[in-house]
Amino acid sequence: MPRPTLIRPTLLAVALMAIAVGMAACTSPLTTFEPASDAADRILSLYILITVAASIVGILVLGAMAYILIKFRARPGRKAQQIHGNNKLEIAWTIAPILVLVAIAIPTMVWIATSSSRAVADDAILVTATGYQWWFEFEYEGLGPDGGTLVTANELHLPVGRQVAIELRSVDVIHSFWVPALIGKTDMVPNRENRLEPFVPNEIGEFWGQCAEFCGVAHANMRFRVHVESLADFDAWVAEMNEQTRADPEPGSAEARGKRVFEVLGGCAACHTIAGTAAAGRIGPDLTLFGERTTVGAGILPATDENVRAWVSDLRSVKPGARFMPTFADTLSEAQIADVVTYLKSLRVP
Amino acid sequence: MVALANIGLIPRPVHPTGVWSWLTTVDHKRIGLLYGFTALAFSILGGIESLIIRAQLAAPNQSIVSPETYNSLFTMHGTTMVFMVVMPAGAAFFNYMVPLQIGARDVAFPRLNAFSYWVFLFGALLMNFSFFVGAFPDIGWFGYAPLTTNEYTTTGATDYWLLGLQVMGIGSLAAGFNFAVTILNLRAPGMTLMRMPLFTWMTLIVAFLLILAFPPLTIALTFLLFDRFFDMNFFNVSAGADPLLWQHLFWIFGHPEVYVLILPAMGIVSDVLPTFSRKPLFGYPMIVFAGIVIGFLGFGVWAHHMFTTGLGGWASAAFAGSTMVIAVPTGVKLFNWLGTMWGGSLRFKTPMLFAVGFIAMFLLGGLSGVMHAVVPVDTQQQDTYFIVAHFHYVLVGGSIFGLMAGLYYWWPKMTGRMLSERLGKWHFWLMFAGFNITFFPMHFLGVIGMPRRIYTYDADQGWAALNALVSAGSLVLTFSVLLLLVNLAISLRRGEKAGDNPWEAPSLEWATSSPPHHYNFAVVPTVRSRYPLWDEEANVVEPPPLPPHEEPHMPSPSYWPLMLAFSIVMLAVGLLIWQWHALIGIGFIVVMMVLGLRSIYGWVYEPPAVEAPAAVHAHT
Repeated sequence: MPRPTLIRPTLLAVALMAIAVGMAACTSPLTTFEPASDAADRILSLYILITVAASIVGILVLGAMAYILIKFRARPGRKAQQIHGNNKLEIAWTIAPILVLVAIAIPTMVWIATSSSRAVADDAILVTATGYQWWFEFEYEGLGPDGGTLVTANELHLPVGRQVAIELRSVDVIHSFWVPALIGKTDMVPNRENRLEPFVPNEIGEFWGQCAEFCGVAHANMRFRVHVESLADFDAWVAEMNEQTRADPEPGSAEARGKRVFEVLGGCAACHTIAGTAAAGRIGPDLTLFGERTTVGAGILPATDENVRAWVSDLRSVKPGARFMPTFADTLSEAQIADVVTYLKSLRVP
Repeated sequence: MVALANIGLIPRPVHPTGVWSWLTTVDHKRIGLLYGFTALAFSILGGIESLIIRAQLAAPNQSIVSPETYNSLFTMHGTTMVFMVVMPAGAAFFNYMVPLQIGARDVAFPRLNAFSYWVFLFGALLMNFSFFVGAFPDIGWFGYAPLTTNEYTTTGATDYWLLGLQVMGIGSLAAGFNFAVTILNLRAPGMTLMRMPLFTWMTLIVAFLLILAFPPLTIALTFLLFDRFFDMNFFNVSAGADPLLWQHLFWIFGHPEVYVLILPAMGIVSDVLPTFSRKPLFGYPMIVFAGIVIGFLGFGVWAHHMFTTGLGGWASAAFAGSTMVIAVPTGVKLFNWLGTMWGGSLRFKTPMLFAVGFIAMFLLGGLSGVMHAVVPVDTQQQDTYFIVAHFHYVLVGGSIFGLMAGLYYWWPKMTGRMLSERLGKWHFWLMFAGFNITFFPMHFLGVIGMPRRIYTYDADQGWAALNALVSAGSLVLTFSVLLLLVNLAISLRRGEKAGDNPWEAPSLEWATSSPPHHYNFAVVPTVRSRYPLWDEEANVVEPPPLPPHEEPHMPSPSYWPLMLAFSIVMLAVGLLIWQWHALIGIGFIVVMMVLGLRSIYGWVYEPPAVEAPAAVHAHT
């Protein structure tokens, strides 16, 4: 028979690993390798520690095994040694993994102790994130009109360098809040009040989030974005969100026609809120300043006119299984839908 | 008593061959084969499900299947592979081999053994039958509440899922009791516990795990059943339920279940390594003890499946600690296996290749498992493809590779014919390569953020290239399994005759003929050492086959296990009918209860054996 060794599979595994690492280096918006907050930084350093430790153990053991397989392969004249065991050796290799595990357990326990007891700073941004099938709602405590709540959906805005403390809720099934660049995931469980470890985003940018617990048909399409921006940009966004008297669009314009469709003819306002207008529905996502959003459909499509039109006309063609919202292609004309899209896209910070 | 026993409407089956002989068999070897073929059939189904999944994910934004179908596919792939493939494949070996390994003529309760098989088969069929009445279940193999409640799952497939699982659980419990009693009570003279082959030891531990782990699942499923059928509120969140109740119950079952799936493979590897290293197991007592410790600790790690549910600091710390602790006995086993090969004269026959592959792949799965015990790291990896990679290394690279070692090792004993070594080696290397191409890149997909259970992803998410590689690997893996099927078919038709002990193995199953007589051993052997066929002084010699009139009396076939299993699955069907029409459902349930009680009655008063028909004829 051919020389029986593990050299072939080992080489194969190494080659595969090299290819895979090369591919992994291509950027993915949900990668855990590009942390943008203090919390994600800490997790990544622990990940590197445990990965290095596991790789060393793996290589040593596989190496020892390869050595054994080659050295002790059957050859003419070789007699197997009739050994039944060796107490000292066996005690040694019981203790060795214990030592490695203690070395891993210590930083793990330190992390658990510090992250679960981390205090919320006085100036922290307080957010309640709520999971719905299949989108996210965000409520900022105290940032709304008259110190009330400020509501937005699917795109969370945060100022860079300020601590944020997020509470997690769900109104239907279990969802999970995950922004790999900012924080590890925690589930949104109905009837429970989970909290994320307070964290400080330390980089300006747009970060991807994703529901990470299987929650039904459109689970794959339940995504969101986090915009970490300068304090000035954040304040401007908050101020505009709270604007209570939004100027009506110029009469006769596409925006004005779209607003009328939104509030009256299409009935959109029954479910959606646009602060500062007559639209005050609370069933679907809040659409205030929708024009500032980079995505439509809970983070799944870039918010181009075309995509927003596709969404309003027939949302289930882009997000199969989506609940509640009617297919407006059935009830509104193409022109009316186009007007609504123009109106929605016009809702911007001036 | 005899009069009572004869109340049966149908005469007791006595045919030694044909369909009826298989339907009514109580022979542990035949039941083992039934489990084996069933596992093989379901593995083809589960494999097809996974191939459709891989086709869908091979490129971004594909719509080969709808999201509903995709969710059904991953639900049924997981449920099928765990409950209808790896569990029955393990059961096939422990049914066939344990009585032989301990020098017994059969298990302690042969009819209960048949009942376990039939109730398992009917439960599995019931669950899969959902396909014909609409769709497969689509709630994940873990069935997290409240997604499974009536409010969020409108299709009836979830009912089939929970009833099928509940029915299959009865079979697992019965098998657990049967094998615990068999191993503890039916060992041949001199076969002390510390002389048992490791596969029998691991089966004993699995038997206790089944007995202790299935009740929590039964309770969880009963709660869900009451919620879904009778509008109760165990998991109804609008009535204030805490959905984590389901997760705790499910994982108190679910983690020991992982050891139910892996311990038989560890037992097989512990038997294969000494045979092909030509030396005794290194540190036998430590390997046994490590198995027992794993069995106990397996009940104390369940919440590591729930680190992201908001358990709080103390619970997270406790379960992170226990998860790290369970790595110790696992490591001990692994080092002792290496010690077994050290100083040996290693023969790389196909069973040995799979056993060595098992060690390497299980090592990788174990290491990535320890990585999850680091809670912060788990918060990034939970529900990503990193987890998918991890448990496939444990359940395919571990369990399936171990079971393959067992199949190549024991096939000659079970069929009397050898498998082709050449095809076997091709099978191993292709499976090894295909497995690693399929599952190793999933680690990277996980850390670059690809979540599990998504039916689609966008091109700009950066996962396309690795997914294409993974899907290509799955084709290699599939091809290797086809080679196995070819190998099995060729062996059955014209495989080389095996002889009693083709591998020169040390344990008792190799003392009898291949395949064994229906009574296993003409003379129950007396055991004087841990390796009875290697130890010349303690050598066990099986006498030539007995003439028919001197054959030991074995329990006769029986209809009742089949009938009772049928009536139990029909009670579950009765509930489904009740949903559609209450009165008809209740009527159906009553009829099936009567049938079930009649079966129990017939079973209880059935004498252990009837005389052969020829003899009956001679008397009249």
